[in-house]
Amino acid sequence: MASKHTQAARGAAARQARSRQGLEYRAVLDAAVDAIIVIDHVGTIQEFSQAAQRTFGYAPEEIIGRNVNELMPEPYRREHDGYLHRYMGSRDPHIIGIGREVRARRKDGSLFPCDLAVGQVRGIEPPRFIGFIRDITARKEAEEQLRRSEAELRLAQELANLGNYVMHVGGDTSDYFSPQLHRILGVQPGETVARDEFVGRWVHPSDRKRVVVEFARMEAGKSALDIEYQVVLRDGTGKHLHHLSQAVFGPDGRVQKYVGTIHDITDRRRAEDEARVLQERLTHFSRLSTMGEMAAGLAHEINQPLSAIATYAQACQRLLRQPEPAVDDVVAALEQVNAQALRAGEVIRRLRNFVKNREVKREPVNCARLLEDLRTLAETDARLHNIRLRLDCQEPLPTVYADPIQLQQVILNLVRNAIDAMLDAPEDRREVVLMTRELADGEVEVTVADHGTGLAPEATEHLFNPFFTTKASGTGLGLAISRSIVRAHGGRLWHTPNDDCGVRFHFTLPVSPAVTTGE
Amino acid sequence: MIKEQKPTVFVVDDDAAVRDSLRLLLKSVGLPVEVFESGQDFLDAERDDRPGCLVLDIRMPGMSGLELQVKLNERHSILPIIFITGHGDVPMAVEAMQAGAVDFIQKPFRDQDLLDRINQALEKDAGSRRMLAERNMIRKRLESLTPREREVLDLVVAGKANKVIAGDLNLSQRTVEIHRARVMEKMEAHSLAHLVRMVLEVERPDE
Repeated sequence: MASKHTQAARGAAARQARSRQGLEYRAVLDAAVDAIIVIDHVGTIQEFSQAAQRTFGYAPEEIIGRNVNELMPEPYRREHDGYLHRYMGSRDPHIIGIGREVRARRKDGSLFPCDLAVGQVRGIEPPRFIGFIRDITARKEAEEQLRRSEAELRLAQELANLGNYVMHVGGDTSDYFSPQLHRILGVQPGETVARDEFVGRWVHPSDRKRVVVEFARMEAGKSALDIEYQVVLRDGTGKHLHHLSQAVFGPDGRVQKYVGTIHDITDRRRAEDEARVLQERLTHFSRLSTMGEMAAGLAHEINQPLSAIATYAQACQRLLRQPEPAVDDVVAALEQVNAQALRAGEVIRRLRNFVKNREVKREPVNCARLLEDLRTLAETDARLHNIRLRLDCQEPLPTVYADPIQLQQVILNLVRNAIDAMLDAPEDRREVVLMTRELADGEVEVTVADHGTGLAPEATEHLFNPFFTTKASGTGLGLAISRSIVRAHGGRLWHTPNDDCGVRFHFTLPVSPAVTTGE
Repeated sequence: MIKEQKPTVFVVDDDAAVRDSLRLLLKSVGLPVEVFESGQDFLDAERDDRPGCLVLDIRMPGMSGLELQVKLNERHSILPIIFITGHGDVPMAVEAMQAGAVDFIQKPFRDQDLLDRINQALEKDAGSRRMLAERNMIRKRLESLTPREREVLDLVVAGKANKVIAGDLNLSQRTVEIHRARVMEKMEAHSLAHLVRMVLEVERPDE
C-alpha cells in the first residue's frame, strides 16, 4: 500500500513536474522576442508563439494545424515539403543548427526579411522541429540606408574630386583612404601612403617646407590644416591639392589619428592660371598702348639729351682745335655729356621697365616715391602737349602693398586721359594735378585731376566697359584694366567732377601691414 | 655812320642741357651768345635792339616758341628766328616759316648746319639793319629840306622838267634850278637817278 501510495505520490509528483515544465515551456515560448514555431515532420504547425502571432499576423487557431509553408513565399512554399521529406530520408541537415537569412510571408501576403534558425527536438520519433524567426526589416533598412549613403558619398566625392582619409598614429588600427582619394593620388584600392613618404616624396619640393610647417602646427594642436600645395604622383603627373585635416588627440594628449579631406583642385587652378595669363596679357597690351600714345613725348624726352650730347661733343671738337684750348670748358662739357647720356639711359630704363612683360610682383610701395619715379614718363607727355604736371604728395605716407609697375600703369593711364581731355583747354587751365594722401580708414588715395572737358553723361555710364572709348585711336581698355588692377589690389577706382571744371579720378589702396624689421 | 655792334646770338630753350650746349658751341666759334630759359625771360630782357639772331625752341611749356614769335612780330622785331624742332614738328615748323622765321633745324643737328644757318641769319639781320640805317639817314636828309625844296623834290622825282616845275609852282626857272641844286646837295645825291632811288626807298608803300 505504502509502495502503491508512494508510487501514486511519485506519479503525482511527476505529473506535477511535467505540468510545471509545460507551463515553463509555454512561458519561454510566449516571452521570447523571436517568433517561435514548432512543426512536426510533415510541416504541420504545432506551436505558434505570441511573437510569431505578432510577426505573422495570425491568431493561433488560424494557423496551428496548417502547413508551415504557408508562411513562405514561392519557391520555398512549393518546395518545403520536399525538403522535409528528403531530410526524413537522409537525415542530412541543410538548415538545422545553421540558420540563414530568408524571406517570410505574413497573413496579409506581405513579405519581410528575417533570420531563421531551426532546431530539431531530439529523442522523439518522428522528429519535431523548432524554428526561431527574427524580423530583421529594420536592420535591413538600416543596412540599405547605409549602403545608399555610402554610394552617395562616393558619388559626391567623385563629382567634387574630393577624397577623405583617416590615418592612425601607431597602434594596429588600419588606415582608411576613400575610393576617390585612391583615384586622386593614383594608388591601388586599399593602398595607403604613409605621411612621411607623402610629404617627403610626393609634395612638390617648392611647397615642401610650407607643408612641413603646417603639418607641425596641426600636430602641435595649434590649428587645423588648411593648405594648398602641389604634388607629383608616381606616374609623374602634377596635381594641385587643397588639403584640410584635423588631428584627433587621445586622453594622453597625443595625436591618435588624423582625419582629413584632400580636394583635387588641379582643373580649377589650371583655369585660374589661364585666366590670369590672359588678364596679364591684356594688362600688358594695354600698357603697351598707353606707352604707344606717349611715344611722341618719349621720343622728345630722349631726343633732348641726345641733342645736347651731340652739341657738347661738337663744341668740344672746336674748342680743342683752338691754339689754346679752354680746357675747363671742355671738362665741363664732357661732364655734361656723361650726365645727359645717363639721362637718356634713365628714360629708356623706365620705358623698358614699364613695357616689359613680367611677373606681377607685389612689394611695399611708397606712393609719393612712385609718383616721383613716374614723373619723367608723365611729364614728357604733358610737356609735349604744353600741359603742366603738378605733384601734391602728402608726407610722410604709409606704404601700400602693390605691384609698382601696375600702379604706374594705372596712374599713367589716368594722366594720359587727363591730358587728352585738356588738348583744347586755355593756357591757364592746362594743368594736371597728381595728389596722394592718407585716408582715415587705413587707405592711401591717389587722385588725378584735370581741368578738361569733363565727362558726357553717356560716357560716364560706359566709362569702365572694355572697348568703350571716346578717343579716335583709343583701345577702350585703359580704364577697364585700371579698375581691375586696383580691385586686384583691394582698392577702388572712381571719379568725381572737379571743383570748377574737368574730372578727378581717384583710387585707393589699402595700407600694407606694418613691416617689422629684424625678425 | 651808325656805330657798328657785334651781333649776339640769343638762345631760348627750356632744356638746360640743350641751352648750355648751344652756349658752349657758339662760344667755341667766338660768337657772343645769351641764353634764356623761357620766352617771357627773353621778352623781359633789356636787349636795346641789339643786332643778332634768335635760336628758338619751338616746344616749351608756358609760352611756346610760336607764341614768342607772334609777340616779337607784334613788337615789330626784325630779329631773324631759327627754330629748333624735334621729331614730328614739321607742321609747327611750317607755321613758323609762314610767320616769317628764316629757318628751322631738327634736333639733333650737325653743328656746321646750325652755324651756317646762324651766319645766314646774322647776314640777313645786318642787311636789314643796314637798310634801316640808310632809310633813317634818307629820312633825316629829307627832313632837312625846306617846304619849298620838298615841293621841288617831289616834282623832280615825278619826272618833270625844270620849266614845267617853274610853271606848276609859279616860280622862275632860275629859282627852281637853285632849289634843285640845294636839294641835290642836302640829299647828297650823285645823280638824278640816285636821288629818285633814295626817295623811293623810304616811300615804298610796304614800309
